[in-house]
Amino acid sequence: MNVTETTAATACWGCGAPAGGEHFCAACGKIQPLPRGTDYFRFFGLPRKLWIEMGDLEARFHALSWKLHPDNFVRSSAAEREMSLERSSQLNDAFRVLRDPVARVEYLLELEGVRKEGQTKQQAPPELLEEVFELNESLDELRAARAAHQAEQETAGLRRRLEEAASGFEARLEDVDRQLMAAAREWDVALDAENSAAGSAVLARINEILNRRSYLRNLVRGVTQELGEA
Amino acid sequence: MSRTVGIDLGTTNSLVAYVDPATGRPKCILGPHGSTLCPSVVSLDADGAIVVGEPARRRLLTQPDRSIYSVKRLMGRGLDDVHNELKLFPFRVDPESRQVIRVRLGDRVFTPPEISAFILRELKSWAEHFFNEPVDRAVITVPAYFNDAQRQATRDAGRLAGLEVLRLVNEPTAAALAYGLHEQQRGLVAVYDLGGGTFDISVLKLISTGQGDIYQVLSTNGDTHLGGDDMDNAMLAVARQELRSRFGRELDAQAEPLQELRKALSAAKHALSSEEKTAVRALLGEDLAYAREWTRAELESLLAPIVERTMGPVKQALADAHQKPQAIEEVVLVGGATRMPLVRRRVEEYFGRPPHTELNPDEVVALGAAVQADILEGGAPQRGMLLLDVTPLSLGIETMGGVVAQIIPRNSTIPASAQEMFTNSADNQTGIVIHVLQGERELARDNRSLAQFTLRVPPMPAGMARVEVKFLIDASGILQVEARDLRAGEKQSIEVQPSYGLSDSEIERMLEESIEFAEEDFAARQMIEARNEAESILTATEKALSSEAGAALDSEERASIEEAMDALRQAARGTDYKLARSAVEALNLATHHLAEAMMNQVLHVAVEGKKLSEV
Repeated sequence: MNVTETTAATACWGCGAPAGGEHFCAACGKIQPLPRGTDYFRFFGLPRKLWIEMGDLEARFHALSWKLHPDNFVRSSAAEREMSLERSSQLNDAFRVLRDPVARVEYLLELEGVRKEGQTKQQAPPELLEEVFELNESLDELRAARAAHQAEQETAGLRRRLEEAASGFEARLEDVDRQLMAAAREWDVALDAENSAAGSAVLARINEILNRRSYLRNLVRGVTQELGEA
Repeated sequence: MSRTVGIDLGTTNSLVAYVDPATGRPKCILGPHGSTLCPSVVSLDADGAIVVGEPARRRLLTQPDRSIYSVKRLMGRGLDDVHNELKLFPFRVDPESRQVIRVRLGDRVFTPPEISAFILRELKSWAEHFFNEPVDRAVITVPAYFNDAQRQATRDAGRLAGLEVLRLVNEPTAAALAYGLHEQQRGLVAVYDLGGGTFDISVLKLISTGQGDIYQVLSTNGDTHLGGDDMDNAMLAVARQELRSRFGRELDAQAEPLQELRKALSAAKHALSSEEKTAVRALLGEDLAYAREWTRAELESLLAPIVERTMGPVKQALADAHQKPQAIEEVVLVGGATRMPLVRRRVEEYFGRPPHTELNPDEVVALGAAVQADILEGGAPQRGMLLLDVTPLSLGIETMGGVVAQIIPRNSTIPASAQEMFTNSADNQTGIVIHVLQGERELARDNRSLAQFTLRVPPMPAGMARVEVKFLIDASGILQVEARDLRAGEKQSIEVQPSYGLSDSEIERMLEESIEFAEEDFAARQMIEARNEAESILTATEKALSSEAGAALDSEERASIEEAMDALRQAARGTDYKLARSAVEALNLATHHLAEAMMNQVLHVAVEGKKLSEV
């Protein structure tokens, strides 16, 4: 167990019973303040696994929404209203991140200290360098043609080449997504086995896969945008 | 214990509703004029008294320089935002207005929240009269696509009216609540809300859980400047062009005849929802009148582009909800403008199913607000209903080069939050400026500025300061900001001065000033209004009787008019405002024929019986 998460000593603000960082005090039922650094998995009572069953997550989200929503605290003290606001916003933030498979992976990497928030590498992966070079050349040609107001049929060949390149990169993107899923399963296995060395290795690999993924996505998006504008 | 009511603060009409504890159903409260609709019109009397609703609406015609309508369009907006509106609306904006617009009524100047507060006060008094006890808590609805500044302005209006605003609820979501209760709907629902001044589209998922029903908004979109007003303006532009080309006459944008014409055209628009054609007649002065037939076909071809403007937001909302039009199981229409067959056809065509129109589109939002008020009084699990709404616009902060970094994406369930870390970029820099924006564009200058504030840090080398800022959007869709200096470990309270809003001290001052407008006894005020009304109609009738048309009346008709005048004079001296009001109605009825006769005597009667194409 992670030492920094030990919040069991926290006492309920209302009755003084140990509240242990739970949403409500088990003894008196009062809503509890949100300890700093509570992570999204823990908030939902889930282990830090990457495979999450959507129906289960949604059911947990609904159950917690019924309890934590500010609608239930309009007549409570200002402090309790504040706690409800904090907890329900955390609930919604957590649901938004965890239900999205990619955002979930990014969040785990941040949580495990593998990457800092919003930090992605935007370098081309070495095996793609040549293709990216060609793609950029074609894009430049298309922009030049547009600047010279060339007719649509004259750029048709160029456009076809770009579309082919884009669909090639999209296929790679699907491939990357498959790699990501496989790596995610490996992380879950390492977590179950409490094998932290294997876990760190997988996370490092996941980080690389994610970087490649975001690079490819930007590439595809850029091409689609250029083609759309023409 | 005081009561919590639900209020629909609309562009054209406002309503107040409550949940009947006996039936558990929401109901709108009737006003003193026998209608649940309170026209969102405010007028300042020459003696300094404020008049709201139906009597103020009549004053739009007689005292346009002391009256204002559609003030919702100005809420939370700066002078630059409304530049185009000012050409179309008779708003008399104070030239000294800066970030908050100030409007002139007679010789006084008010902000839009103050004017909205007058409307809220009126509704509050309706409710207090109805319950016979004080009402000081309310849920108020806003267009889903309202930004932070527009929401804050609405909340300020509530505060100025002496109401604790427990929650702002999005109008389409409120409508869904009312419909859900009514129809026991499940699954995916789209709410298409075209009102007097705003358009909203929301996509919701209705989910049954063991504890009750959850109304989860998946996405919302809209246009806060698109509605029935724009339709009236389009009709008005056509009519003014007709007057111009036929008589070379220009109507003054500020004056009475234009309002008379607008009123007649708007009535024709309403009539054309059920009729194929209708006659428009408006007396515009001693020698000018507008009178011709409008057809539904003509109206529809004129308004189709306006209706089409709603489709962009509709498509975006569906895309954001990851849904196709066919997947939507129920479509609900809200807002007076959805009575138009053109709108209904377009919506049905797009979704491939007939929309729901069972509930009165004017009342359904207020009914939903009352349901939410009831949930807040009792608690969501106790009422078995929970509303999960979203923020309509992405929240971002300005970074290097004027680019926006998005921190809370649009359509995030609220409350929602984001934490960002800030540091000093230069040695010994003591302030870090943070600019918060709302919108979907990449550059800061293309988005709505919400607030700018400075984080204080002790002098230290560049990059050493660590200030964590928490941005939180509450359940009303309003932003809160809190900062924490991680080195000193202390919280910093941040004075967030809204870019387009009133400061707390301004509100305090307005609250003090508003005491002079404090409500008199409800019945006494109604009686004063009825008396004023009686006076103006009596004067007008006397004038009409002495005109050429008056002289031509047969003696029987003249006698019946004089009889009605006497009855009104007597009622106006009494204390029963209902009696006085019905005497006004009786006189109106008695002079109906006289008014027509006067119209026919006008020299220039515009384009009688001609089609638009022949003008």
